[in-house]
Amino acid sequence: MEAFFQTYGFLLVYMCLQALLGLSTYLPLMAGQLSLASSGFYAIGGYVAAILSTQVFHTSGAYPIGYLLLETLLAGLLSGVVAVVVGIPALRLRGIYLALATIAMVEILRVVSLNLSITGGAVGIFGIAQPFSSPLGYMWLVGPLLLLVMFFAYRLEGSRIGRAFIALREDELAADAMGINPTYHKVLAFALGAMLAGVVGAISAHFLNTWNARQGTFDVSIAVLAYVLIGGSRSFAGPVLGGMVLTALPEVLRPLKDLRFIVDGLLLMLAAIYLPQGLANPNWLARRKTAPVREKT
Amino acid sequence: MREKALSILVLVMLGTVSAQKVTIPIPIGVSVAQTSNVALLGREQVIGAQIAEQFFNSQGGINGTPFKLYFEDTSGDEAGAINAFQTQINRNKVVAIIGPTLSQQAFAADKIAVEAKVPVIGPSNTAKGIPQIGDFVTRVSAPVAIVAPYAVKAALKLDPNIKKVAVMYAQNDAFSTSETGTFQDTVKAQGLEITTVQKFQTTDTDFTTQVTAALGTKPDLIIISGLAADGGNLVKQLRLAGFKGLLIGGNGLNTANVFPVCQQYCDGVIIAQAYSPTAPGSLNAAFRTVYKNTYKREPSQFTAQAFAGVQVVVTALRALDKQKKLDQWDLPELRVALMKQILSGRYNTPLGPISFGPDRDIIQESNYVAQIKMDADGKNGKFEFLK
Repeated sequence: MEAFFQTYGFLLVYMCLQALLGLSTYLPLMAGQLSLASSGFYAIGGYVAAILSTQVFHTSGAYPIGYLLLETLLAGLLSGVVAVVVGIPALRLRGIYLALATIAMVEILRVVSLNLSITGGAVGIFGIAQPFSSPLGYMWLVGPLLLLVMFFAYRLEGSRIGRAFIALREDELAADAMGINPTYHKVLAFALGAMLAGVVGAISAHFLNTWNARQGTFDVSIAVLAYVLIGGSRSFAGPVLGGMVLTALPEVLRPLKDLRFIVDGLLLMLAAIYLPQGLANPNWLARRKTAPVREKT
Repeated sequence: MREKALSILVLVMLGTVSAQKVTIPIPIGVSVAQTSNVALLGREQVIGAQIAEQFFNSQGGINGTPFKLYFEDTSGDEAGAINAFQTQINRNKVVAIIGPTLSQQAFAADKIAVEAKVPVIGPSNTAKGIPQIGDFVTRVSAPVAIVAPYAVKAALKLDPNIKKVAVMYAQNDAFSTSETGTFQDTVKAQGLEITTVQKFQTTDTDFTTQVTAALGTKPDLIIISGLAADGGNLVKQLRLAGFKGLLIGGNGLNTANVFPVCQQYCDGVIIAQAYSPTAPGSLNAAFRTVYKNTYKREPSQFTAQAFAGVQVVVTALRALDKQKKLDQWDLPELRVALMKQILSGRYNTPLGPISFGPDRDIIQESNYVAQIKMDADGKNGKFEFLK
């Protein structure tokens, strides 16, 4: 048991972080917005934490948790502000065009971070202070955060705003006609996802001990989108499950050596073909839940 | 239940180490990028390590005790490197780790080894600050600052009339951005003028903008810091645009992989090398022969550095084994002693003689500057020594 935690402590926390990142893409997708910007906000969050902890807060010994929480707060806020500024014009685009615009944003952020001296150029920022003595220690922070965000997403799905998101996803014109403000709700969903991605980035910078321009790239965008699509895009359980399974899979398959990524890809293909609704299919869970709702209508 | 979970976590955090003996064959970890887009380098490193495993085991291993390399793929990212290191330390129970491939990965993963007190030898980590990660980190790859200046001096020897220098580098590559800094400092120190600094990406294929801008300043010498594909293409496009002056390629171009990219236009490019296949020494000759027989080409710097990494660990283990047979050591005790032994030794590797300074960084005594000579058909070429 102890050996298990020593070997896989890092992986367990990383799975939770990736699940959170999956949720950050799921939030705009709830309102029908195919955004690949999560990785960009993830990068912003990481840089906020990396710069603050290496250049502003000078500490010796274990890094105070309070500072880490402050960094995550600032990272979340900054990401949220950037999301609103970018989101208002960008969210006029739909579907694949929005996806392209968000890819452009991610690429711009990457090139900017490569060229600034404060972000350390291509080498990035390293030697980021550690608040916990082992990777598993991060679970105290990441575990509750994941539960909290899952609970938030669960409540959101049933709330007025959540229903507005879903109405927008199903038919924007109809939703608009029913008095739902599309711009407001779309930007809100986009900003919520961005704030979450920023927070995850700030924690990840400490967790990985280093941050560089290779972190929030197009590759990450696609990986995170895969969490949502393989996991299931119709309930919050999908991205969480997808993020965890897809992160763990290459490590679980490690004994296969050179074959591991081939088997990994094969399993993903099979999942995409045979479970098109995702691993977490809400119909399985909701069969019992929807019955009383139907009586009401 | 909660108390139990809590006590397990506390135990884990204390990092309780039970005394365990070293297993036979002696496990040595090699964690490099065997997958992802970094695998181009990682595969070369795997080959180098495998040649070393065969070579030293056929010499009797560690004074008669065989050793075994455990390969755990890091893939191309930081998280993958950490996962691979954790597996090496806790599952494979290795005495030392050779890896990871990229400096950025090293900044993330080496910390794990330092906390577990496991020696790490970076086979190709050239960024500033690698040995400073912690007490258990060193490298067999010379930092960029050391290799680059030789090439500039060699160019000045070939053409003493050089006055104006244009510099170009791949801005998304950590190695190239550090290397160009060194190149620029050297150029200024030699009293030459830098006319322009042009940036490109390792993924670029069209360099019209950079080529036009650079040639507009009429340079006598152009220095390129990039990798094989982009650097080779840039060389070709500079020559096609009519550039007649000298070209210096950084360490990223120190591979036969550039030959098919720039073909006959590669001819004459001056390359700074941390490793040269034609370097003297019987061990390099043996290593080169094994490589050439199997792969029908010259070994690259990455292969030689991985070989040297394994060699350093094996040589240090041999010295420790003479003090006390290896199977008598407790694993944690051996790891600590091994690190000390590694740093105190001097090793005659294919890279030439190397040792380690008080800051744990490599001291590589021979650096090479070569000039590319292409065959008449422009298909194949070789690196020719400049002295």
